[in-house]
Amino acid sequence: MILEFMRDDHRTCDHLYTDAENALAAKNTEEAKRLFGEFYRATNHHFDMEERELFITFEKRTGMVGGPTQMMRFEHQQLRTQLEAMLKALNENKFDDFFGIGESMMIMLQQHNMKEEQMLYPMIDRALDGDAQLMVQTLKEMVS
Amino acid sequence: MFSQGLSLEQAPPISVVLRFFLSVPVFGIFFSLLLIIYPLEILTPNHPISLSAIHLFFLGVISMSMIGSLFQMQSVLGGRPIPSVLGNSLVIHTFFTAGLASLVSAFFFHIPAMFVIAAVLLGSSLVFLVQLILPLLFGGVVHDTLRGMRLALISLLITALFGVVMAVSFANETFGNLHAAIRTAHYSWGLIGWVAALIIAVAFQVIEMFYVTTPYGAWCKRNAFRILALSLILKTSWLFLALPYLWVFDLFVAVLLIGFVITTILRLRERKRRVGDVSIWFWTMGMGLLLISLISYSAYLWNWSASLETVAIISFGLFSLAIILGMMTKIVPFLVWFHLSSSGYLETPIMSTIIPAKRNKTLFALFTISSLFALVSVFKLLLLPVAGVGFFLLFALLGYNLIRAVRLYTHIQKTGTRFVMNANSIA
Repeated sequence: MILEFMRDDHRTCDHLYTDAENALAAKNTEEAKRLFGEFYRATNHHFDMEERELFITFEKRTGMVGGPTQMMRFEHQQLRTQLEAMLKALNENKFDDFFGIGESMMIMLQQHNMKEEQMLYPMIDRALDGDAQLMVQTLKEMVS
Repeated sequence: MFSQGLSLEQAPPISVVLRFFLSVPVFGIFFSLLLIIYPLEILTPNHPISLSAIHLFFLGVISMSMIGSLFQMQSVLGGRPIPSVLGNSLVIHTFFTAGLASLVSAFFFHIPAMFVIAAVLLGSSLVFLVQLILPLLFGGVVHDTLRGMRLALISLLITALFGVVMAVSFANETFGNLHAAIRTAHYSWGLIGWVAALIIAVAFQVIEMFYVTTPYGAWCKRNAFRILALSLILKTSWLFLALPYLWVFDLFVAVLLIGFVITTILRLRERKRRVGDVSIWFWTMGMGLLLISLISYSAYLWNWSASLETVAIISFGLFSLAIILGMMTKIVPFLVWFHLSSSGYLETPIMSTIIPAKRNKTLFALFTISSLFALVSVFKLLLLPVAGVGFFLLFALLGYNLIRAVRLYTHIQKTGTRFVMNANSIA
């Protein structure tokens, strides 16, 4: 339940980033800036959903504080720094920098997503059990 | 229940992976020299120099890279950290390298006693590796890539055990009735169970996520490793019981792998992420080479032509090399960037300056040319030394890329400015 919902959100973010990257590669700068803005907002919203709701609930249920969820928060922080650097590069029309930072951001983001999808979300699903549906509803209602 | 062994640690120290990667060009250069100096012997099946070259390639280049990658993969996909990873990786690397050097020397210089040393060193390093990582893949959350990693490690263990038995035969220079069966089982588990299974497991993760493609089918992901494992078990049983229709199991594997090739090529062609990337070229080329290998081997099953078998083996080796080179062009700069960035170095370079795209493109060009000459050399022996020169340049460039990346990493570590941030500081 949580796995499917959050995995779909990962893919939505991936597609937004790809659209922005493709637009920039096609020299459609304004469209690239708009699409990257969407990706930036969607990704930060995804991190917020995890940090403000999902991880806190999981930690309360399992007592696992300072474990994998803390490491995921740390990685969010690293990724946020990358996103900021990319946004800055794009706004300053430094497109080589944008692609360069984007390459490492994308690998890091995908490694991060793999850890969540392969390990953390299935654990959260088990921890929430019957309350997973309610959690998905709560996450859907969070304002981006 | 939930905390059992779970760790989402970011990565092992960079030296764990790079130690293995840095050894690859060294063995690759020795392999290339054999191609240049002994082309006729290399293309003579079961010639000692041919066996030296095969082991230099499949152990020194392919397995060396794959073991290094496994240490990284375990941290991302395995769910539990490898205990004492620095010390254990050092032990495995040392024994593996010394064992491989002994094995190649034993074949090349015809020193029977060296086979015993090789068996002890290589056998112990691989058994140690498997017992270190395999238990970590059980007892937690299971996913398809994890199943592939399990099969790959179990296959590596079986390959090593058959290898030890064969090394003892070579040491005693006495070959029993089962030698041919053991040899076939040894390379079947090695090439299909270890090399192909791990590459498929990686593809299931990497293709969809890094290149933004539609995922592989759930049924395929769930059952691919079961079919591979079952085919290998049945083939081995058939071999030792000397039963007829052994080729049926090879055909099963070939059909499955052709399905994998077609699916992967379609996924890559329809990928949403269109920005050019050398790693995609390597993946596509790798799939093409695997297809050549599978068609040649299927044709060999039909008419038993030795040339077709040689083409199948060479193209399979090139397929695995293509995937490894493609992944290295991404992994190495990423690891350098990641470890510097995670340590807070303000001077951390972006990936494209660690290994410039131009050098990666040259690597791909060298790979393409060398592969072409290597394949044609089966029918025109004179071209094998030319392929050898190409591979020599390829491995020299790979070594140069790796050394430059390591030097950049150590330079920034020594002279860079750090902004310290750690996991505990994130509330």
